[in-house]
Amino acid sequence: MAAKSVLIFRRSISAAGLFLVLLFFLLPIAYLGALSFKTRDEVLVGQFFTAHPTLDNWLKTFEFIDLTAFIWHSLLIAGASALLTLVITAPAVYAVAKLGRGGFVGQLTLASYVAPPVVSLLPLFFLMRITGLLNTVPGMIILYGVMNIPVAYWLLRGFVKQIPVELDEAAWTDGAGYIKTFVQINLPLLAPGLVATGLITLILAYNEFLFASVFAQDNAVRGLTVALSIFQGDRIVNFGQMAVASLAGILPVFIIAYAFQGRLIEGMTAGSIR
Amino acid sequence: MQLSIAITPPLVHFSRQRAAFILLVPLVVGLVVFAIYPAIYLVALSLTKSTLGQPFKSWVWGSNYLWAGGGDGGVFLTSLLRSAVFALTVTGLELVAGTALALLLLKPRRGDSLIRGSILLPLMTPPVLVGTAWKLMLAPAGGLVNGKLQAWGVIDAPISFLGSQPWADISLIVADVWQWTPFIAIMAYAALKQVPGDVVEAARLDGASEGRIFWTILLPLTAPALAAIFVLRLVMAFKTFDLVYILTYGGPGNSTALPNFGIWRLAMRSFDVGLAAAETVLFAVFISLVLLPVLRLHKRFEERT
Repeated sequence: MAAKSVLIFRRSISAAGLFLVLLFFLLPIAYLGALSFKTRDEVLVGQFFTAHPTLDNWLKTFEFIDLTAFIWHSLLIAGASALLTLVITAPAVYAVAKLGRGGFVGQLTLASYVAPPVVSLLPLFFLMRITGLLNTVPGMIILYGVMNIPVAYWLLRGFVKQIPVELDEAAWTDGAGYIKTFVQINLPLLAPGLVATGLITLILAYNEFLFASVFAQDNAVRGLTVALSIFQGDRIVNFGQMAVASLAGILPVFIIAYAFQGRLIEGMTAGSIR
Repeated sequence: MQLSIAITPPLVHFSRQRAAFILLVPLVVGLVVFAIYPAIYLVALSLTKSTLGQPFKSWVWGSNYLWAGGGDGGVFLTSLLRSAVFALTVTGLELVAGTALALLLLKPRRGDSLIRGSILLPLMTPPVLVGTAWKLMLAPAGGLVNGKLQAWGVIDAPISFLGSQPWADISLIVADVWQWTPFIAIMAYAALKQVPGDVVEAARLDGASEGRIFWTILLPLTAPALAAIFVLRLVMAFKTFDLVYILTYGGPGNSTALPNFGIWRLAMRSFDVGLAAAETVLFAVFISLVLLPVLRLHKRFEERT
């Protein structure tokens, strides 16, 4: 009897704890949601809920800045760069993990992740200016495609190692070439890992800000993060519209995250758990 | 393996060596463009007087380093130290909070996928927007936190959370913990799941308390994984830029200008590219120096298991 009530007590503590944690993680987003329905005057009160919800902000923000275009740029660049990352990284991981060559290159790739991004900021700025890639969509795709290689390498290695090497050896014995074995046997088995890694690199590229703020300043390339930072520097800060713009920008990644939660978690943990 | 290749001689295909070479070429090109060329260019740049419009204006050799190494009155060296304190603080907090959250998640309950989805939210939110959300919450006029604290009578006048110390530091830390604790929670969750259930079950049958199970079974078995997560997150924390840019823009004064932000400001706002390059080189060396003991510790953990 006593043991049971202790158990119930413990359960409710852990449930309450979880509830508080979730509240903390949802609060900023929920606050953005609440703000987006407030009038300008009401914003200044510092209350969570509004007495007079209005759709005004939602209608005006899209008029005020070309939000749809910014989000589209972000998605396009993020998606294409994620594909590029996979195309570059997957063959290399196979060469290192299964063919046992290029281990040094792999080490160097992982080591390059430690370097702070400002390291490459200036040299790449000059390189992109000379090649005319500054402020272009292809330039940003290449930049992010290459930038995310270390993360993709780290994650894909976990997935490649899950495919038994005996499978490759059997194919080699049957006379299939090394590259054919990679394309026809490993790639299909690797599909879930490729999807997970692709999603994570897509999100990283979508969320990136430092490079975007330097290399994508033109309105024809500008993505969401840069657009919002400029919006924020505006003299007349309109909290309600800022909230709308933020929510609209978060929405695409949230939809992706909810639809692919399992894959995402699998991908995130692939590298650390071999 | 070697034998089988000898028995069936390859007809049209490449040798193992050449196949590996072909598969590795794209990565090597990427590495050269993104890691090797920048490193060489940066070191050269750091020895010159350079602006954005005119790189390599003149060679000044060590004078940028002398300036960054103390000639500026220790501003840069202080920011290096501050970045180490910041990175270790947030990573430590996030590791503890994330592991605790992972333990909470370990017990299956209704709405599991909804809970997992919710804690994925901060991870999916671009840091710029995380900054924006917290900035709105912490605003002196109209911010939720000040509004509530005043309504409850905790404070009389609004606090300038982002414009005064130590609040600016605390705000940065809170926003960072908000963004990254879920990441660690998910990784720790996966690590904890790998612990064989029967070991935990046996201990429970023997009457071990939950706390004891954690300290004597779960923690030792997951220590290598947790150490790896710690290193990964520590590296990321050193790179913090977006939150500083949005929340404090380095202020008040220079007190939250972490190196990544300070160097960016120097190069892209003051256009002193040579000095920015020298500071970047020193920053990279500094990160390596901090990481070396951490990596050594991590290695020892791995060897033990």
